Amino acid sequence: MNKTQPSVSHRFNRFGLISSVAAILVLAACGGSTATSGGLGSGPLLVGVLAPFSGADASFGPRYLAGCYAASLSINGAGGIGGRQVSCQQFDTKGEPADAVPAANSMIAGNSNLMGVVGCTSDEASTVVPILDRSHIPMFCMTGQSEFNKSTAKYFHRLVPADSFDAYAMIGSALFGPGHAPYKSVALVFGDDIGSQTFVGPAVAALTKLGVTIAINQAIKLGAASYRTEVAKMLLTKPDVILTETIGSAGTYMKEVKQQNGGKVIPFIGTSATIDPVWFKQVRDAIGLPDFLANYQAVDLKLTLSGSGYDEFVTQLTAADTKFGGSNALTYKGKSPTVHLYDGIIMTALAMVAANSADPTVYNPKIIDIANGVAGATVVSTFKEGVDALKAGKTIRYVGAAGENNFNQYNNSQQGYNLVTMDKDGNEVVLGSLTQAQTQQIIDAGGGA
Amino acid sequence: MNAYYAGTLLVYAAVDIIACLALNLQFGVSGIVNFSFIVFQSVGAYTAAVLSMPPDTANGAYQFYIGGYQLPFPIPWIGGAVAGGLLAIPVGLVVLRKLRADYQAISLLVLSVIANSVIMNARTFLNGSAGIAQVPGPFADQVDPLSDGYQLLYVGLAVPCVLLVWLVAARIVNSPFGRSLRAMREHELAATAIGKNPVQLKMTIFIVGGIIAGLSGAILVGYIAVWAPSEWLYPETIILFAAVIVGGRGNNIGAMLGALLVPVGFFEVTRLIPATIGGWTPPPNLIPAMEWVAIGLLIIGFLWFRPEGVRPEQRRVFAGAPVREEVDHAGNP
Amino acid sequence: MELYVAALGFGLISASVIAIAAVGFTMQFGIANMINLAYGEVMIVCAYVALYVNQRGVSVWASMIAAALAGAVLSFVLNRFLYAPFQRKGTNLIGMVIISLAASLILANILLPVVGYDTSSYEVDQGPLLRWYGLVLTTAQIAIIFVAAILMLAVHGLLRYTRLGKAMRATAANPTLARNCGIPTQRVIDLVWLLTGALCGVAGVVAGMNSENFAVASGAAYLITIIAAAVLGGAGQPYGAMIGALIIGIVTELSAAAIAPEYKEVVAFAILVAVMVLRPQGLLARRGALAAAG
Repeated sequence: MNKTQPSVSHRFNRFGLISSVAAILVLAACGGSTATSGGLGSGPLLVGVLAPFSGADASFGPRYLAGCYAASLSINGAGGIGGRQVSCQQFDTKGEPADAVPAANSMIAGNSNLMGVVGCTSDEASTVVPILDRSHIPMFCMTGQSEFNKSTAKYFHRLVPADSFDAYAMIGSALFGPGHAPYKSVALVFGDDIGSQTFVGPAVAALTKLGVTIAINQAIKLGAASYRTEVAKMLLTKPDVILTETIGSAGTYMKEVKQQNGGKVIPFIGTSATIDPVWFKQVRDAIGLPDFLANYQAVDLKLTLSGSGYDEFVTQLTAADTKFGGSNALTYKGKSPTVHLYDGIIMTALAMVAANSADPTVYNPKIIDIANGVAGATVVSTFKEGVDALKAGKTIRYVGAAGENNFNQYNNSQQGYNLVTMDKDGNEVVLGSLTQAQTQQIIDAGGGA
Repeated sequence: MNAYYAGTLLVYAAVDIIACLALNLQFGVSGIVNFSFIVFQSVGAYTAAVLSMPPDTANGAYQFYIGGYQLPFPIPWIGGAVAGGLLAIPVGLVVLRKLRADYQAISLLVLSVIANSVIMNARTFLNGSAGIAQVPGPFADQVDPLSDGYQLLYVGLAVPCVLLVWLVAARIVNSPFGRSLRAMREHELAATAIGKNPVQLKMTIFIVGGIIAGLSGAILVGYIAVWAPSEWLYPETIILFAAVIVGGRGNNIGAMLGALLVPVGFFEVTRLIPATIGGWTPPPNLIPAMEWVAIGLLIIGFLWFRPEGVRPEQRRVFAGAPVREEVDHAGNP
Repeated sequence: MELYVAALGFGLISASVIAIAAVGFTMQFGIANMINLAYGEVMIVCAYVALYVNQRGVSVWASMIAAALAGAVLSFVLNRFLYAPFQRKGTNLIGMVIISLAASLILANILLPVVGYDTSSYEVDQGPLLRWYGLVLTTAQIAIIFVAAILMLAVHGLLRYTRLGKAMRATAANPTLARNCGIPTQRVIDLVWLLTGALCGVAGVVAGMNSENFAVASGAAYLITIIAAAVLGGAGQPYGAMIGALIIGIVTELSAAAIAPEYKEVVAFAILVAVMVLRPQGLLARRGALAAAG
C-alpha cells in the first residue's frame, strides 16, 4: 500500500530480464513489426498494461487491467478491429523506473502486435514514455506529474488531471464548494510520495494570494505506525478544513483526528486520487461511515458515469469478472483510472478502424480527432456504434463511459472539475462543479499550471 | 526495436556485473557485510545525474535538485565513482572501526533506510520521491539517445568499464593486499598479530568498493535517465548478496557469473508458472506473487545444495612441500 | 508545552508496541543466534489470523491469543524446518540472514493472494477517552500499554526466576558449555522459538491496532523499527530491547512535535547510529548476552 515501504520485489525483475544473449539473438532474428500501413491486417492484437503489479503500488495494475479487459470484450463482441481480436497482457514494472525499462523493452520486442499501452503511472512514466514514444506506440498514462503538462511526446495521452490542477481544484472546493461557507483556515496534510509532492507548492501560492490562512502545512512520512503527535500539532492550529491525499495512511491519520478532537471529525477534502475504493474503505473503517459521509469531499475531472457508454462499460466489466479469478471486478466500476483507460483503448480501436490501418503512425493522430471530434461529427458512445457510423461513412466523436474528452495540444485532456463525494458504497457522487472563472482565478493566484 | 532491448539487457548486465564485483571485494574477499551497498550505487547515480543535467530552472522547473552543471562525458561517470568513494570515508569511519561484524551489518542496513528516507523527504535536494528525471546520457547531445546506434554506443561505453573493473578486482585479489584481506576475513585477530591493520585494510577496500559501486550507478542512470528512491530500497542490496553467494563468494568470475546466472535462473523459474490453470485465470497479482515465492525457494535451495556457489573461491595453498627459503641467522634471505 | 506532554504519552504507546516485538526479536538473536528478517512477516501473518477471528465476532483482545498461538507455531516450524537445518550445516550468520529474507519473501507472497493488497483493520471498542493536558488516550490504548508491561514483566520473571530462564541464559552465553553441563539446549531453543513466536504474534495484533490500518506490506516497515530498538539496547539483550523501544518510541514522537514530522523516523534511527559510534556494544551489552539486569 505504501510507497515508502520497502518491498523486496525490486531488484529481481531488473535482473529477471537480463536473460541470455541467446534470447537477444532469437529476438533479433525474428524481429520486425508486422504492422502494415495499408489495411487493418490480421491476427490478434494486444494491449499492454504496463504498470505496477507487485511492490508498493501493486494495487494499481489490476484496476487498469480491469479497464483493458472490459474494453477488449466490448471490441471483440462487436467483431474486433477489422476482425482482429484484442487481448490484454500485464507487464509488471514493480513500480520502479529501473525495472520498468526492461519491462517496456521486452514488451515491445516480444510483441509486434501491440496496438497500444495503458498504465504508466508516476512510478515509471518518466522512463517508459520516451521508450514507447520512440517505438510509436500510443499510450494512455496515469501519471499526474507536471513534466507531462506540456509533453511533446506524440504518442502520449493523458486523461487524468495534472497533480497541480488537482491542488487548484481542491482550493476551489474549499472556497466555492457546496454545503459550507468558504473555509478561512486550511490545513495541508500531504505525504512524501510522488503525487503529493506536486500539490503543496501551487496550493500554498494560491492560498496565500487568495487570503486564506494556511493553518499548518504538514508533510508526513507515509507508512509510519502512527501520527498522534502530528495530529495533536495540527489540531492546535484549529483549521476549518484539511486538504489531504496521504494514500495508504489516511485511515491512520483521520482516526487520530477523530479521537483527539473528542470524537468530532474536521471536514476534509481529498484529491482525485482519493476517489478510490481502497482509500474509501480505509478512512470509512477508521472514522465510521456517518462521519465519512458528513465530512468528506473531493475533486475529480468531469466524468459523467451515466448513459449508454457507461452502461456498456459496466456490462463488459461484469463479464470480465472471471478473469479476476472470480474476485469482483465491479469494485472498479466507479474508479476513474479503470473508466479512463477503457475509454482510451476504445478510442484507439476506433482510430484504427477510422484510419483503416494497423500502423500507429497513421492511426495515432486519429485518436485525438475521435476524442475531440471535428465539426459535424456523429457522437458515438460504444465501439460498436462507432464502427457502424464509420461504415456508414460518417466522421465520429467518441463520448464514452466517462463522458467527453478534450485533448489540448499537449495531448492532455482537461475538461474542468467536478466537486464530488462518495456514497455509502464508495461510489462517486457529483455535488457540483467549478466554473471556468473560478478555476482560472485560482490558477492565476497559484502562478499558472 | 530489438537493438533497444538487446541494449537494455547488455547495459543492465554490465551494471550488475560491476556492482557484484565491488560487493565481492567487500563481502566475498574481505568479509565486510555492506548492507548499505545500494546507497553507494545510488550516490554515484545522483552525482552523475546532477553533473550532466542543466540547472533545475531549465525544462519548466518541474523538478528541484542541487547543482546542474551540464558537464560532458566522462566527467559525470568519474564524478559518480568519486562520490561513491567519498561517501565510503565517513560511513567507514563510523561503522568499521569499533563495531562487531554483525553490528556493522545491522548499522549499515539502518543507514541505508535512513538515507533513503532523508532523500525522499528532502524534496528540494534531489527531488524527493519522484526522483530526478530526464538525465542526459553520455553524448546525448551528439547522438540521438532514442536511436539504435545510441544503444550500441552505450554498450560500447559500458563494456570497457566492466573490463577495467574486472582488471582492478583481479589485481586486488591476487596481490599481497588481497592476501592480507583474506587473512583478515578468515581470522582478524591472527591477521592483526602478524602486523596487519584491519581497520586500514577494511577502510581501503570499503572505499575501493564505494568507487566501483558509484561507477555502476553512474552507468545505470545515464541509460535509464531517472533516479528515484524507489530504485534503491534496502532489499536491492540483499539481492546483490544473493547473486554473489550463488556465483561463489570470493571469486571474481563467480561474482560475475552470479550477476548473470541468478537472473537467468529466476527468469526460467518464473516462466514455469502457467498464465491460466485449467481455463481459470488467476487474479492479476497472483502470478507476480508466485514468482517471488519461486525466487525465495530458489535462494534457499541454492544455499542448501551448493552453498559455496557455482564457482567456488579457489583454495590458495602452496603446491607440494612447504617452500624452503635459504635464511641466514640474522633472518635475511 | 502541552504538545510535548502529549508527544511523551504517545511515545509511550509506540514504545509499548515496539517493545513487545523487539524483545522477541532480540531473544531469537541472543539465544538462537538468528537475525530473523522474517520476523515482520510473521507478525503480519499473525495479525491476519487475529483479524480472521476478530471478524467472527470475537473481541480483539481474545483474538490476540489466537495470534500468539499462530506466531508460536509458525516460528517453531520456521526454525525446525528451515533455520535449524541450515545452522547445523554450518551456514554462517550472514548466510542465515539471507535465508531469513528468502523466508520473508515466501511468507509475504503466500499471504498476499490470500488477503490481498488492501489494508484491513480490527473491530475495536476504543472505550472512553482519557484526557490529561494535551494528551488524549483511549482506553484501548492504555490497555496496550498494560499488555506490554505485563509481557515485559513476564519475560523478566522467566529469565530471572525460572530454571528455564536460567537454561536460556546459559544457552545464550555458551551453547557448548551449556550442553556439556546437561542443559538440553535443543529443547531450550525450541522453547525460545515458541515463546518469541507468541510475542511476535501479540506484537502483530498490537501493531495493527496501533496503526488502525495494516497490510501485508506493513511487515517490512515494522521490521526496521524493531531492529533499531533491539540494536540500540544491545542486540540479544531483552532489557536492552525494552530500553531501546522506549527511546525509539519517545524520540520518534518528540521529534514529530519539535522537528518536521516527515523526519521523525530519521531522527530515531540517527540516534541509533550515534549510540553505535559512542557505545559500539549497544547500551546494555557490557553485561554479556542475556544477563539479567541487576
